[in-house]
Amino acid sequence: MDRGEEGFRLETPAVRVRPNTIRRAAANGGVLIGLYVVVFAVVAFLALVPLAALVIGSLRDTSPGMPGQWTLANWANLVSPGVVETLLTTLAVAGLSTAFAMAIGTALALVIHRTDFRWPNAMTGMLALSFYFPSFILAMAWIVIGSPGGVINDILREFLNIESFSVDIYSVTGIIFVMVLHQVPFVYLTIRGPIMGMDPSYEEAARTAGASPWRMLRRVTLPMLAYALASSALLCLVLTLEQFGIPVLIGVPGHVTVLATQIYLLCRFPPTAYGLAAAIGLTLAAITSVAILLQRRLARGDRSVTTTGKAGKITPIPLGVWRWPVNLMCGFYIAVSLVLPGLILLYTSLIKFFTANPFDATFTFRNYLYIWNSEETQRAIINTIIVSGGGALVGVLLGVACSYYVVRLRPTGYRVLDALVMLPFGVPGIVLGLGLLWAYAYLPLPLYGTLTLIVLAYVTRFLPYAAETAGARFVQLDRSLEEAAWTAGASRLSGVWRILMPLSLPSLQSSYFLLFMAFFREISATILIFTASTSVLSVSIWSSFEQANWGFASALSILAMVLMVAMMSLLLWAMPGARRR
Amino acid sequence: MGISVKNLVKSFGTHTVIHSISFDVADGEFVTLLGPSGCGKTTTLRCIAGLDTPSTGTIAINGETVSDPANNLFVPPHERDLGMVFQSYAVWPHLTVAENVAFPLTVKGDRDVAAGVAWALDIVGMSKLAQRRPSELSGGQQQRVALARAIAARPQLLLFDEPLSNLDARLRDRTRLEISRIQRELKVPALYVTHDQTEALSMSDRVIVMEAGRIVQEGDPRELYQKPVNRFVADFIGGANFLHVQRVGRQWQLENGSPLAVDPTTDRDDGRSKIALLRPEAIRLDEPSVPTPTGQNRLTGRVVGGMYLGPHVEYIVEVGADRLRAYSRSALSPGSPAILTFDACDCRLVDDTPLTEARSHHA
Ligand SMILES: Nc1ncnc2c1ncn2[C@@H]1O[C@H](COP(=O)(O)OP(=O)(O)OP(=O)(O)O)[C@@H](O)[C@H]1O
Ligand SMILES: [Mg+2]
Repeated sequence: MDRGEEGFRLETPAVRVRPNTIRRAAANGGVLIGLYVVVFAVVAFLALVPLAALVIGSLRDTSPGMPGQWTLANWANLVSPGVVETLLTTLAVAGLSTAFAMAIGTALALVIHRTDFRWPNAMTGMLALSFYFPSFILAMAWIVIGSPGGVINDILREFLNIESFSVDIYSVTGIIFVMVLHQVPFVYLTIRGPIMGMDPSYEEAARTAGASPWRMLRRVTLPMLAYALASSALLCLVLTLEQFGIPVLIGVPGHVTVLATQIYLLCRFPPTAYGLAAAIGLTLAAITSVAILLQRRLARGDRSVTTTGKAGKITPIPLGVWRWPVNLMCGFYIAVSLVLPGLILLYTSLIKFFTANPFDATFTFRNYLYIWNSEETQRAIINTIIVSGGGALVGVLLGVACSYYVVRLRPTGYRVLDALVMLPFGVPGIVLGLGLLWAYAYLPLPLYGTLTLIVLAYVTRFLPYAAETAGARFVQLDRSLEEAAWTAGASRLSGVWRILMPLSLPSLQSSYFLLFMAFFREISATILIFTASTSVLSVSIWSSFEQANWGFASALSILAMVLMVAMMSLLLWAMPGARRR
Repeated sequence: MGISVKNLVKSFGTHTVIHSISFDVADGEFVTLLGPSGCGKTTTLRCIAGLDTPSTGTIAINGETVSDPANNLFVPPHERDLGMVFQSYAVWPHLTVAENVAFPLTVKGDRDVAAGVAWALDIVGMSKLAQRRPSELSGGQQQRVALARAIAARPQLLLFDEPLSNLDARLRDRTRLEISRIQRELKVPALYVTHDQTEALSMSDRVIVMEAGRIVQEGDPRELYQKPVNRFVADFIGGANFLHVQRVGRQWQLENGSPLAVDPTTDRDDGRSKIALLRPEAIRLDEPSVPTPTGQNRLTGRVVGGMYLGPHVEYIVEVGADRLRAYSRSALSPGSPAILTFDACDCRLVDDTPLTEARSHHA
C-alpha cells in the first residue's frame, strides 16, 4: 500500500517528556530538514540559473558582462534564412541518423538475442565498448580516414590511380555516417532489455499458429516492442539533436552547420553574437524537451511488453543461409566503429608526417614524449581525473539525496524538486555551457575559471540520470525495511545509513560508473567555459586536432582511451555492483 | 501501564479512516485487533508505532504520552521502545540472521549484543542458522527472524501486523502457539492485528473487533463468540446462521409464522431491528421420524444440499426464506424434509446492522 502521500512533516518534531531525548529528536529531524533545504536550493540553483541567464542573454544586444541594451532582435533573428536553414539541417541530420541507427541497432539486437548467432557475448561486449568510445574521437578517426587528404583518398590516388572518384567526410553524409556509428550501441543497449524480458509465450504462440520466424518477427515481436522502440528512438533523436563533437569536427570544415555548432561559432568567431546564440540555445532546448516529454509519456504508457519472471529460453531462430551475411555485417560494424578507428589513431599517433602508406611513414614516439613533457597536458589529465572521479561522486550523492526526498520523505514541495532535477534532461550540453557563460558574467561568484564550474556543469547535466537510478532502486525497496529499522530503535538518518544505503549500493555503484564515464568524455558542456588552467583531456584532444596536429591529438586520444579502459576495469573491480549494467 | 489509546482519529487528506477509537492494552495482556480488510487495523497499529501520525487523539505507552497532536507532541518510532513484526517480515537482505537480530541491540547501545542475539535466536529456535542470509531462509524461518529481531532488545511493547498471513496452515498453527508463549515469557503488552478469526480467538486475552474505522465490540474470545452484540460481529466470528424474526405480541415468530423461543436475556425492546442468531453446532438436525425432546424449539425445513467433511456432514437447510447451516451424522438427501431442534438459550437476538461497504468487500 502506498503510504507516500502521508509524507513527513516539517513541523517541530516533539515536545518531549524526557529532556535528553528532546535534543536527539530535534537534532535528527533538523538534519533532514536542513539537508532538504540545502538540496532544494542547490538543485534550483543548478537547474534554473543557466536557463534564466539564457533568457536574459537572449534579450541583450551585447556579450556577457558588457554594457548594452535590451532588445528583441535576437528572437527576431531566429527566422532569418541562416538560422532556419541550420534548423532544417539539424532536424534532417538528427532524423536520418536516428532512423539508420534504430534500424541497425534493432537488427543487431534481434540477431544477438533472437537467433542462433554464434558469438552473442562477444558482440555485446564489443557494442558496450563502442558505447563508451567518445564521439569526437570517433569523428577524428574518421576524418583521418575519409577527409580529402585522408587514408581512403590516398589509397584511391596512390595505389589505385583513380582520380575521377574521391571521398569527402566533410559533408552532411559524413556527419550522418559517424553519428549512426556512434548511436547504434545506444539503441542496442536500450532495446536489448525489452527484447530479453519479453515473455516467450507470445512468440511461441505465433510459431505454433504456423508463422515463419521472419513473419513472427514482423507481426509479433516488433509490434510488441513498439513502445520500447519509439522511446529509444526519441532518446536517440535527443542525443543526435544535441550532439556537438561530431558536427563541430566534421561539419565546420565542410560548412555544414547544425544548431549546436552554430551556438559555438556565434560565441567563438567574430563578429560574436552571444544574444542570438542564447535564443538559438533556448530553441534547441525547447525542441529536445518536447522529445523528452513525449518519451516519458510513452515510457509510462508502456504496458505492451509483459516482462515475466520466466523469461525462459526461447528457441532461437535459425539464421540458415543468412548466417554468413549476418556475420559479415556484424564484423563490418565492429570494424568501422571500433577497430578501424582505434588502429588508425594508433597509427597516426606513431608517425611523423601523415601518409596512408605505412611503408612511407617515419615512425616516432615524439607525440607520446610530448605528452610526457607537456605540463599543460598533464594538468588536463589531472583535471579530468579530478572532475570525473570527484564530480561523479558529487553527482551520485546529490542524485541520491534528491531521490530520497522525492521518493521517500516527500516533504512540502517535493514535486517541484522532482521537476527541477529533471529539467536539465532537456538542455543540451552546449546550451548549458552557454547559460553558465552568461550567468557567471553577472553572478558575483568566484567560479569562472575554476574546476568547480566544470564540475557544476557536469553535475547539472547528468543529475537526472543519477537521480533516476537511485530513485528506481528506492521504489523497489519496500518501505517496511526502513520502518523496521525505526521500530527497532534507529533514527531516520541511521535507517538511511544502515539499511537504505547498503541495499541501494549496487545501483549507486553503477550510477557512479555511468557518471564517471560520461564526465570523462564530456566536451559539449565544457567547450564554452574552460580556461587554460581548467582544460580537460577532451578539450586538449579537440584543440590539438583543430590546430591540425593530428599526431598529437591521436596520441592523446589513445592515452585517453587507455585511461578510460583502465578506469573502467578499476571501477568494475572495486564496485561489483556496477557490472550489472 | 500498557498501551492507552484515546479518541484516535486518523485521516488521509479528507478521507477519515479511523473514527475516534479508544482502547487499552494492559501490561502483559495480548490483545487482537480483528476486522475485515480495509477497516483500519494496520493504520491503528502504525499510529501506535509512530509510523503514521494521528490526526487527533492521544496515545500513551506505559504511562508516557507518545502522541498528542493537540499539544504538538510526537515521539518518533525509534524512541518508543517497541518491537514490531511486519506482515512482509522486512528482514534486511544485506545482513545475516544474527546481524538482523543484533540491530536493535546495537542501535540502542546494548552492552552485551552477543548474549542478546543468542537469547532471542534461542527463543525462536533459529540458533543454528545465525550466519545465514535471509535469501537462504524459508518463509517461516524469515518470519522467526523477524520475531527474534522484534524481541531482541526486550522492548516494553510488542506489535504484530498479520505476521502469519504468508505462512502455510501448518506453520501458522505452530507459530501462533510460539508467539503466545514468547509474549507470556516477556510479560509485555502485545497488540496483534489480523483478519483471521481463528488466530484472534486462539491467541488473545481480549479481542477488539473493528469495522470501517470504528470499534464494534471488545471482549474475551468466549464472550465475543457467545454474546456478539450485532449481526456483523456474529458473522465475522465463527459460522453464524440468521433467522429473520418478528415480534408478535410478546412472542417472536419466523416470517412463516412458526413461533420461536429465544434467549430471554437478549429479548430487549430497545427499538432496534433484531435478527436471531443460531450457531450451526447448536442445531440438531434429524429426519422427521425421530421424536423431539420437549422444551426445545422445533422447526421444519428442507435439505438443499450437503457437504461431506469427515467427522460430520454439513447441510444447508431451508427454513422459510432463510438458509441455515447445520451438522448431522445421518445421511439426508437433498430435497427431503428435516427437523431442526435447538435450545432457546442458544438462539440469541442481535442487532440487525446492515452490511457496510467494508463488510461486503470482505465477503
Ligand atoms: N497512505 C494512505 N493514504 C490514503 N488512504 C490510506 C492510506 N493508508 C491506508 N489508507 C486507507 O485506510 C483504510 C484502512 O487501511 P488499513 O491498512 O489500516 O486497513 P487494514 O484494516 O489493515 O486492512 P488489511 O486487513 O487489508 O491489511 C483503507 O481504506 C485504506 O485504503
Ligand atoms: Mg493491514
